[in-house]
Amino acid sequence: MLLNKYQFVIDGEQVETKVERNGSGWHVVSRGVAFEIEQRSDGLYIVSNEDMRLTVAAVRHEGVFYVDLGRVQLEFTEAPQGTMGHGSTEQHREKDKVYAPMPGKVVKLLVSLGEMVSEKQPLVIVEAMKMENLVLSPSNGKVKAIHFAAGDQIDTERPIVELELES
Amino acid sequence: MPQPLFKRILVANRSEIAVRVIRACRSLGIFAVAVYSEADKQSKHCMIADRAVLIGPPSPRESYLNIERIIQAAKQTGCDALHPGYGFLAENPLLPDACKSAGIVFIGPTAEAMKLLGNKVESRGKMADIGVPLIPGMKAAGSELAQFEGAAQSAGFPVIIKAAAGGGGKGMRIVREQFQLKESLEAARREALHAFGDDTVYLEKYLTEPRHIEFQVLADQHGHCIHLFERECSIQRRHQKIIEETPSVALTDELRVRMGADAVKVAHAAGYTNAGTVEFLLDKSGKYYFLEMNTRIQVEHPITEMVTGVDLVVEQIKVAAGLPLGEYLKQLTQRGHAIECRIYAEDGENNFLPSTGKIIHYSEPEGPGIRVDSGVALGSEISVHYDPIMAKLIVHAPDRRTAIVKMIDALEQYKLLGVKTSRRFMIDVLSHPQFQSGNTFTNFIESHMKSTNSTVNELQRQLAAALASVVAAEPNKNAQAVDSRSAARSPWQTIGGWQIGDSAVE
Repeated sequence: MLLNKYQFVIDGEQVETKVERNGSGWHVVSRGVAFEIEQRSDGLYIVSNEDMRLTVAAVRHEGVFYVDLGRVQLEFTEAPQGTMGHGSTEQHREKDKVYAPMPGKVVKLLVSLGEMVSEKQPLVIVEAMKMENLVLSPSNGKVKAIHFAAGDQIDTERPIVELELES
Repeated sequence: MPQPLFKRILVANRSEIAVRVIRACRSLGIFAVAVYSEADKQSKHCMIADRAVLIGPPSPRESYLNIERIIQAAKQTGCDALHPGYGFLAENPLLPDACKSAGIVFIGPTAEAMKLLGNKVESRGKMADIGVPLIPGMKAAGSELAQFEGAAQSAGFPVIIKAAAGGGGKGMRIVREQFQLKESLEAARREALHAFGDDTVYLEKYLTEPRHIEFQVLADQHGHCIHLFERECSIQRRHQKIIEETPSVALTDELRVRMGADAVKVAHAAGYTNAGTVEFLLDKSGKYYFLEMNTRIQVEHPITEMVTGVDLVVEQIKVAAGLPLGEYLKQLTQRGHAIECRIYAEDGENNFLPSTGKIIHYSEPEGPGIRVDSGVALGSEISVHYDPIMAKLIVHAPDRRTAIVKMIDALEQYKLLGVKTSRRFMIDVLSHPQFQSGNTFTNFIESHMKSTNSTVNELQRQLAAALASVVAAEPNKNAQAVDSRSAARSPWQTIGGWQIGDSAVE
């Protein structure tokens, strides 16, 4: 049986899933939790496990996934290619480097060398597509290196900031 | 089979209310003609009408507000009556005048009644004369600052300055202290001039925690007028109603009788015919004050229909055709409880900013006592040109508690993707203990809903990812689904560590 693996970024967090066909429906494991999913009609699904049963709408449009859970509606995409299938050690290495998700210009650095930072703390303001955006810290740690200054052009290949992770 | 009341009715509106009126025409065996702008070619109201006439470009000024073009469309399709819906031209006395000259029956009040009630100062004066309670304040519009100061002093602060031609919160200023009066007066005048082309303003006492209670009335052309009980519309945001219900928990039978009688008195005094709404504010001590009369079918009319069993749009058509009010209208009762939630295209998690886009999934809740008045369907484009109301969800249940539970469930069953809505915000309002206890005042949202809830919990995250995996795993589901790998290269995926447009760091 074919097993597909996916990784999504939902509300700032990566979520990994495994999906396989199960009779007329699918068996999905999402962050370790198992769900059975059956399609009810176009875009409508019944999702259930031992604890719950829910009718949900889900569609993909121009590369974006739209899910309506009734109380909450979410829009998200798959995680970027580069991070797919990384082993745990590699993940660890990535978490100590902070990259810009798109090329732009550094407007302001919000932290200085040696400063302790926490996960999701804003580190840098980057201007891209005429908007100012925040780059957030991927984890808790100490600022080990800063490779750019205000006014510098940046790309997505070289890290802006490096962290020494909390052990 | 008797002759239909009219041969063909032109529906001079769009979206959900046009759909609603077309359905009423159908139920009476009358053909319905829709009009549409270039932006609405594919819209639902055009699809269900017997004929549809293009009346101009997307801009309302050149289409839905263009009286000449609309009358021309009515003549060209042989219509003998016209229904204006709400908004657009519905309260513009030039439309009934234009209909009259063209020999078309206008389904609504006379131009004269519309003019009188459209002028808030004039109608206040008239209602004071017949003894309907008014909020203490100026009897006529003022010009000198001293007049406003005197009126404010005798009414007592806080006071509110309003535009005579006003509505929708424009040209309104709340003044809490004497020293702010001059500046607020000037600001209100500027705003009124800009919004209505008329800088006439007046002043009245500002009630801090009132309820908004309105009475539906129906008057025929033979001097009969009845009311169809109240609607409470206290849940408002920026003077826009978002949740309405009937009956109101605040009305005793005795108060309902008095307010209803006053509503009928207002309609009589204005020489009103057809369906209209008399709005009151009710304070905590049980005193009520006349606010204004709306001379159209209201957005929230379905809740009245649910508890009385009367089709108000059908009644509008009958009255316009000259029929007297039916006997069944004279023995109405309120059966059960009804609630309406307005489904606006707006981002409930981002300051209710208008949301535009294409509806990529649409499914409505179903079940006994659930009604959806909708102007949209799968594939509808929500543009910037028009009012953001897409649909109205209405539930009917034996009592208020059951109606609230049913509405929350219906909102959860309502699935709409591609355009943002404030369904979650409304669920949060309906779930609030103060709402459930009936403590509904016009300041409810600013008092109890200061922060909007936008958190995503772990289960929701797991569910969303599980569903997306199934969608992604389905082979070639549809042509719109682009290759997820190319999409994955877009920078927007990593939005998690990247807050768009947020520069408020310091």
